[in-house]
Amino acid sequence: MANSLEFRHITKYFPGVKALDDVSFVAKSGEVLAFLGENGAGKSTLLKTLNGDYQPDEGQYLIDGAEAHFKNPHEAIEAGISVIYQERQILPALSVAENIYLGRMPTRMGMIDTGRLNYMAWKIIDDFELPISPSAKVHELSIAYQQMVEIMKSYSRENLKVICFDEPTASLSDAEIECLFRIIRKLRDEGKIIIYVSHRMNEIKRIADKVAIFKDGRYVTTVDAKTTPESEMIRLMVGRDLGDIYDNLDRDKQIGDVLLEVKNLESDYVDGVSFQLHRGEVLGFSGLVGAGRTEVMRAIIGADRMTGGEVYLEGRKIACKSPAEAQRLGIVLVPEDRKDQGILANLSVSGNINISLLRENSNQLGFVSQKKEAEAAARGIRAFNIKTPSPDKKIVELSGGNQQKCIVARWMETHPKVLILDEPTKGIDVGAKSEFYQMICGFAKQGLGVILISSELPEIIGLSDRIIVMRNRKVSGEVMREDATEPKLLSLGMMEEDAK
Amino acid sequence: MKKSGIKINGNLIVLVIALVAVVGVFSLLNRNYFTTVNMVNILIAASLVGLVAIGHTYLIIEGQNDLSPGSLVAFLGVFSALLVSKGVSFPITMLATMVIGAVVGCCNAFMVNQLKLEAFIATLVTQSIMRGFAYIICDGKPVGITDETFIWVGKARLLGLPFSVWLMIVAFIIGGVILAKTRFGRSVYAIGGNAQAARLAGMNPKRIVTISFVTMGLLCSIGGIVYVARLQSGQPAANINLEFDAITAVILGGVSFSGGVGNMMGTVIGVLLIQSFNTGLNMAGIPNANFWQYVGKGALLLIALTADYVRKINTEKRLLAESKKNR
Repeated sequence: MANSLEFRHITKYFPGVKALDDVSFVAKSGEVLAFLGENGAGKSTLLKTLNGDYQPDEGQYLIDGAEAHFKNPHEAIEAGISVIYQERQILPALSVAENIYLGRMPTRMGMIDTGRLNYMAWKIIDDFELPISPSAKVHELSIAYQQMVEIMKSYSRENLKVICFDEPTASLSDAEIECLFRIIRKLRDEGKIIIYVSHRMNEIKRIADKVAIFKDGRYVTTVDAKTTPESEMIRLMVGRDLGDIYDNLDRDKQIGDVLLEVKNLESDYVDGVSFQLHRGEVLGFSGLVGAGRTEVMRAIIGADRMTGGEVYLEGRKIACKSPAEAQRLGIVLVPEDRKDQGILANLSVSGNINISLLRENSNQLGFVSQKKEAEAAARGIRAFNIKTPSPDKKIVELSGGNQQKCIVARWMETHPKVLILDEPTKGIDVGAKSEFYQMICGFAKQGLGVILISSELPEIIGLSDRIIVMRNRKVSGEVMREDATEPKLLSLGMMEEDAK
Repeated sequence: MKKSGIKINGNLIVLVIALVAVVGVFSLLNRNYFTTVNMVNILIAASLVGLVAIGHTYLIIEGQNDLSPGSLVAFLGVFSALLVSKGVSFPITMLATMVIGAVVGCCNAFMVNQLKLEAFIATLVTQSIMRGFAYIICDGKPVGITDETFIWVGKARLLGLPFSVWLMIVAFIIGGVILAKTRFGRSVYAIGGNAQAARLAGMNPKRIVTISFVTMGLLCSIGGIVYVARLQSGQPAANINLEFDAITAVILGGVSFSGGVGNMMGTVIGVLLIQSFNTGLNMAGIPNANFWQYVGKGALLLIALTADYVRKINTEKRLLAESKKNR
């Protein structure tokens, strides 16, 4: 059976971005097709327009040559198209069998036939060669097995044609990844169309047959996974050699005395974290998502409660109870999730820049000077090269990169001493990225202490003077720039049981 | 650059047209509708809704709400009438009433901030409790007042308008200026847009919410006292559905239920609109008019919510169109 899934001229707009731009290609059954691209290249968006979560603005999908259109994910599942997401979408309080057959459990006289249900589920589990019981509650299973339950749920549908995996290994150990790959190969050999989204090159090499490469919402090309060299794939993915960008950064600066010192910091999310940040230094924080990097910063600025340890700024002990207090002391954070924690979507560009300057912009009676606001907005727009037709434009009308620049402008206007950037280039295009890299070096040169959290290893190696690696709520290592390599950071960041 | 605090936008024009249309239709239905006396009566009736709607404008922009004002106004009215009837002087009574109003506001804020309850449910609790106390403290019987200052507050007129109307006008101006021109006003919009981002940007959302609930409590105290002064008695069963009128007016005026959007001028017109409608329906000679009023108000709220929804969809469409142009 030769099934095919054709993407034809798929285009999707979001406020501020063209998320997908005329994407056309064909996926065939019997092979694993990987989607490769940077964050924000449009991989996940493409899956969501495929399964009806989003509606494409232009273009259509053809399954075996016939046009298909799904109003919602449910319709897509009925038609045999499943997407397995990073976040699990199962019901933890129900059993494995109940989850697999949710909504279509076998009944006898109106009651659920538990015996038959468990038998049906057992057959699938046996097929997958997994050591789990159909009647086990899902919340008792490991993350990896929970994911397997999801896959089995899709598999249990007779008409399953397409199964997509969106960054499935983000929280899996090596052994678990191997188990997942075994199942993916099984599905492939049964003639399903497999789409595998990841930005981990070594995994793609291991599991994929073909690699479709995406860049800035556009489909670039499809290459053979086994024969194409990694460097070639990266070149296609970023469209230029990022090495040049890092090499051309202005690093002519002095690293000064200790600016921020953190000793044995504890919160509900991190254990005993200690480090020092110097004036003029870019300090990178590396590690897996969920290792506690963001949480350390949140505790320092008082967004989360600090339960132990000490923080010193310029030798003086501080304990911020709120981000407002941290701001007054000169420690500011550009948060990771721009949409939910960074921008104020209802306000203009000017409003967003000025929101942390209300005190400076207003008189004793609390009246805000519109003149001062206009000046600060103009300064920020000029200094950070924010592309906006007017300061009164709603911030959501800007592209992601320009929105992020507004947030940086907001904080730089407060003249901070310590600038914390959490995944600052996530979801922004390459051009804006290199602007950010220059900006970050510029801040350090001005004598600020910059903390950079990033999951992109080339970025963190290219920018940081020193890198702290976190693993499982703790600092697991510290690497100087000269010694930093991707494998070294990865091995420090991986969970203990993975280390050979 | 828009320099004036009152921004003329499409939404406001539509509202004014709606107001003129409502007044026009009811004027045709009843000759006595469009008269000075009746217009002043509409303003008087609007004054209490207006005060409460100021509080709602702040709270709803913040993404909060308050269902307690009706019973709180009734309770505070009865409370003030009781105090003066026990011989407490009017200024002390006023002060005591305002303190109680502020305390109730604090309780609402506590439930929302500390117990993390939805404002809708939290203030429903207060609504029931305050109504209960309104009856309990006076054994369910209206309390008459004889204090001269108190009665004067209800009778005094300046330029043909009674004290209550002037109070509403002044409160609208102060409320509008604070919202549009001050640090506090800016914070209100910021936390309504995205409380989490606003906190990380250095605001204190809990403090702003608390101040707003306390302000609502104070507005209810003043409203309650003026209402009692006008009727010359404190009525435990009064002001049922007051918050309903105020919320409808605020949403009609362009404040979005999803928070972060709206202005005081819209609320002013929304209040005038809903009161013109209420009074008009009473005068239109329809049988069972005061029962039909409930149906009419429900319909009005539905219209307001639909308009809110349509505005939201249109904004999203406009943003999408803009993004397409930008690329």
